[in-house]
Amino acid sequence: MDTKHSKAPAQPGLNTAPGRPRKSLLTRQQPPPDEASDSLTSEQKVSTPFQDSLRQLRRDRRAMVSVAIILFFLLLPLFGPPLYQHIGGAITSTTGDRIDATVYRSPFHQELGRQYEGSSSTYWLGTDAIGRDLLARLMQGLLISISIAIIVEVIDIVMGISIGVLAGYYGGWLDQFLARFTDVMFAFPGLLFAILLTGILGAQADVVFNKLPLVGANGNARLLLVSMALAMTTWPLMARYVRGQTLQLKQQQFVEAARTAGSSNTTIILRHIIPNLFSIVVVASTLNMAGTIIGEASLSFLGLGVQPPGSSIGLMINDALGVADTKPWQVLFPAIVLALIVVAFSFLGDGLRDAFDPRSKD
Amino acid sequence: MVQFLVRRLIGLIFVVLCVTFITFIFGYFAPGDPIQVMLGEHYNIEVYTHLRHVYGLDLPWYQQYFRFLTGLVRLDFGYSYYYQGRPVWDMLKDGIPVSAELASWGLLLTLVIGIPVGVFSAIKANTWIDTTSMTLSLVIYALPAFVLAVFAQVLILWIDKWTGQQWPVANWGEPWHYTWNDIQYKLVPILVYAAAGYAYFTRLTRTSMLEVLRQDYVRTARAKGMRAHIVIYRHALRNALIPLATVIGLAVGTLVTGVFFIEVIFNIQGIGAATLNAINFRDYPVIQATTVLGASAVVFGNLISDILYTLIDPRIKSE
Repeated sequence: MDTKHSKAPAQPGLNTAPGRPRKSLLTRQQPPPDEASDSLTSEQKVSTPFQDSLRQLRRDRRAMVSVAIILFFLLLPLFGPPLYQHIGGAITSTTGDRIDATVYRSPFHQELGRQYEGSSSTYWLGTDAIGRDLLARLMQGLLISISIAIIVEVIDIVMGISIGVLAGYYGGWLDQFLARFTDVMFAFPGLLFAILLTGILGAQADVVFNKLPLVGANGNARLLLVSMALAMTTWPLMARYVRGQTLQLKQQQFVEAARTAGSSNTTIILRHIIPNLFSIVVVASTLNMAGTIIGEASLSFLGLGVQPPGSSIGLMINDALGVADTKPWQVLFPAIVLALIVVAFSFLGDGLRDAFDPRSKD
Repeated sequence: MVQFLVRRLIGLIFVVLCVTFITFIFGYFAPGDPIQVMLGEHYNIEVYTHLRHVYGLDLPWYQQYFRFLTGLVRLDFGYSYYYQGRPVWDMLKDGIPVSAELASWGLLLTLVIGIPVGVFSAIKANTWIDTTSMTLSLVIYALPAFVLAVFAQVLILWIDKWTGQQWPVANWGEPWHYTWNDIQYKLVPILVYAAAGYAYFTRLTRTSMLEVLRQDYVRTARAKGMRAHIVIYRHALRNALIPLATVIGLAVGTLVTGVFFIEVIFNIQGIGAATLNAINFRDYPVIQATTVLGASAVVFGNLISDILYTLIDPRIKSE
């Protein structure tokens, strides 16, 4: 279960502690004046809270293992397929033709007659119900998962920050709108909004997006719709976090100082508010990545996402459900990969929260 | 307090109205003419206009929405597009007890196991027991319900193979009947369903408990020389449960979608399975009906949380 239905969501990021104003998280803090005249060594010792947090994160073994897993799963679908196809030699297909590894190790090529094979030097993880290479399909599925996660997160962050900051900073009708809109979106339980949207408009999306290059090919046409549906359900929460943080930042002395110095609202927002949202946004969006990957896999599992012959982890699990008793690896490979990547994102998000949220340091 | 609840109630009614409107609009703008799909390529124009009238599709949109809305109050969700002339409610009503049974047992199990483990973890904070329990619950929490279900299924099939038993991995017994046969069917789906909630409640209980254990009155009680278990169960636990009471209502949303995936994987004929069938057949009225039902459950859960909160925590009343 998740916390996103709570009315006053707990802030996942940090509260800027009073008396610790930070103009920017990314720049080195000026050393205090009495030490400034000192030697270089004292300056080297001073580290910003951001650097402290980073150091703490680096010490978090669980988070670091997660980073490694995420990096691996990020690089695998990018460099894996060309490498995998380069390694293999030509084989004789069941139709009698000689085929290259680029053909039989493509996620879409069917070798009818070589169904449900186990692991071999030709097919490293074996083949599926219609003789397609499982490893190739797994890598393609990972590519889909990660692309969707990135697309959704970009929309989530852009919408969340812009609307959240404006609502928090100016209040007024936008704030009202945000509050009502989040209320309505939260009323849709879990994935139900995405299920409704993709279930009803899915067939239409196939027709409309099919002509697009790249996106339209290989049954991926619906993914645009899936990303929109998932982004719609996630950005209101992000906007709420950002709004809450903005409300607190607005009260801080450094914002007041900037205003007294004659900075315009735009400058204050861009220079002082948004940089301070960094950690809250990073923590929230990392945890969100896990949710988005689950969301896409779940929708594809239900047949609402990637369409055959395309590949997605959810679709692979669904394809293999019928043979779970006799050929369990068919369902276990994609399930384990999905589990690993989701858990890695959750652990990393947890580690980031521990490192960047001063309240959780106890 | 009454004023607060009335204000919340008005807010919730607004939310329900918005949800029904969004749901309606999706169905209204859904591509394709459902009647045409129903009748196939060659149809009689009179039959066509008659059916359009029966389904209310000849009305302007606001009248259709009004019809949809007034129907909801009477649990009349219109007629199925796929099974012509069959009321949607007929299709869902058999599934509701099944899904409700799954959800209630799941929630009960979640609380009965989740809260004690959370309390135990908090008492043993930062020992290996706590770390193991928290890592385990984070893993379970992170995993999507259908992956957990698949793992459970594969595991049982393996055990079946080794022991030569026939423990079922699909279907559901008679709703609300508990012969050994029924229990065999129901046990695993309920356990898997409870697992996701278990992870969440354990973590929440632990956090809440740790917070309370730091309070001055707990220290005072300890300083007075009170026995440890009295301090923990009388003083700490009672207060630690306050935030939990509200979360139970809020968790309804995830309970609802959790049902969907468990039902699909274990082939249980509840409302989740009915909805997914409807998606495959593009039977929009059924999808709309479950969406509205699910959303109403969430809104109702929110209201219950609010009421529980004001009842349990006296500080709310004074504000």
